Amino acid sequence: MRRRFKVPWLGAYTLLVFAFLFAPIALVVLFSFNKTASLTFPFHGFSLRWYRYIFTSPTYTSAALSSLQVGLTTLVVVAIVGTMAALGITRNEFPGRRVLRSVLFAPAALPGLFTGIALLTFFVQLHVPLSLWTVTAGHVIYTLPYFFLVANSRLNRFDVLLEESARDLGASPWQTFRKVTLPIIAPTLIAGALVVFSLSWDEVYITFFTVGSRSTLPIVVYSTVRQAVDPSVNAISALLLAGSLVFIFGIRRFLADVQQ
Amino acid sequence: MQALQTGKTPGLRSRPSSRPRAAGRLRARTRRRLAIIALVGPAIVLLLGALFVPALNLLVKSVVESTGYGQVAYHFTFSNYVSAVSTPGYLTVAFNAFGIGALAAVICTAASYPIAYFINFRLRRGKNLALFLVVASLFSSYLVRLYAWYTILGIHGVLNDALVRLGVVKQPLLFLLFNRWAVLIAFVNIFLPYTILMISSAMQNIQKDLLEAARVLGASPLRTFSRVLLPLTMTGAVGALAYTFILSSGDYITPALLGGLNGEFVGQIVSNQFIALGDVPLGAAISFVMLAVFLVVYFALTRLERFKGI
Repeated sequence: MRRRFKVPWLGAYTLLVFAFLFAPIALVVLFSFNKTASLTFPFHGFSLRWYRYIFTSPTYTSAALSSLQVGLTTLVVVAIVGTMAALGITRNEFPGRRVLRSVLFAPAALPGLFTGIALLTFFVQLHVPLSLWTVTAGHVIYTLPYFFLVANSRLNRFDVLLEESARDLGASPWQTFRKVTLPIIAPTLIAGALVVFSLSWDEVYITFFTVGSRSTLPIVVYSTVRQAVDPSVNAISALLLAGSLVFIFGIRRFLADVQQ
Repeated sequence: MQALQTGKTPGLRSRPSSRPRAAGRLRARTRRRLAIIALVGPAIVLLLGALFVPALNLLVKSVVESTGYGQVAYHFTFSNYVSAVSTPGYLTVAFNAFGIGALAAVICTAASYPIAYFINFRLRRGKNLALFLVVASLFSSYLVRLYAWYTILGIHGVLNDALVRLGVVKQPLLFLLFNRWAVLIAFVNIFLPYTILMISSAMQNIQKDLLEAARVLGASPLRTFSRVLLPLTMTGAVGALAYTFILSSGDYITPALLGGLNGEFVGQIVSNQFIALGDVPLGAAISFVMLAVFLVVYFALTRLERFKGI
């Protein structure tokens, strides 16, 4: 067989696409350390000026705290409700089970615009004032499917005999869950919770409609960018990015579960 | 442990029994039912309270009359739907959104195939790293990426600056930003990680031998793709197309940042009805027409799953 040099087209193409995916992000992070306000090369020097600015700006700091509050509340609610639903659905046969499972995935396939306007109209109708709580409600409904997907696929691969033996040895359902099921699925649940947090941290489509006087970080960024180019947005973007990548810790397990 | 895993336990439980035990079983069944309701209940309440009831409420709002900002009078009317599908301006914007959305879906899905193939069949040790990078880019803030394209394509942006410095153009190009093509670029950037993952996980269960067998039996690469790889990954492709199409044509943030006047999307019209103009019934009607289009496209796409190759 005659061997000749083959151009690795596929590899080159993949590299190119990866560059396309990461170049914009890299650029923003790079410019967040720029000394001047310009957004072009060459660089005029390294500085933490924009970071200093955002950390002392009351708008940004209060928005960051709001985002943190919403993200953590969403995470707790979704983790509890999602785990319970996944346990109920994977461990039991009941009428409407399959329908319920597909309905639980629905909010993820819906444009945020629709969820947003539906919630806004509903809140206005019920005279619920818009606040971080209404934002949280939107985030919970938006992130629940993702958490449910992870918890569901983990529980489907779970060896039920372990639970049955615990039950036969006299453990109550709660003891079985607490001592057998939970320790085994905990890493996956944590990964799912991190996914929930990073989705919430970044959410703007639903939040735009449900937000009250206290803004979250993405909303502040969105309204700032819409007004003018402000170099401090680079720094805040880098922080937003860091927040979304919290997820990186749980990434392996999430990947393994989603691919199953 | 070994004894337990032979599967005797379930048999023990379901052995036919006398009356008192039957009563006990009944009680156990009621308890089990209660447990299911307690476990699944909160999720159902959440779905109903934060999605289905609000959506129904919106549906009701779409068939009543608007009487000024945020106000409605409860007279049944279809006029909102009539304006939604007959106002010429809305139609242009709808074609814009659905056209760009469809283009984004096709580009993302097609561009994902070679990458998914490379990751699944060519890479060994690098496979996990490559998938990790895809997920990392998927989870990096989309708002940040939109902003990044805004700075790259702007008049004083990186691209224009480079072009002027290199002497390719004398004046900065104005047509890079604020049009539908800038929106398309951003969509491809945002949805590509999703489609790569979907196509890639569809390829997961394909044996490499199968593709090699096709080649050995004389199929050209193109034929191997269209007769073997494509039919086997059709579910993934349909998912990728539908997901990208729905989420990009329903978008209103990306076009608002990058679209300018000629890149206006139907989502912006809806959002304006709710925020700036306060015509809730009209906004609701447009959003339901949009949703209907998504449903039709989705079901049309699922028919593609039966595709067995050309």
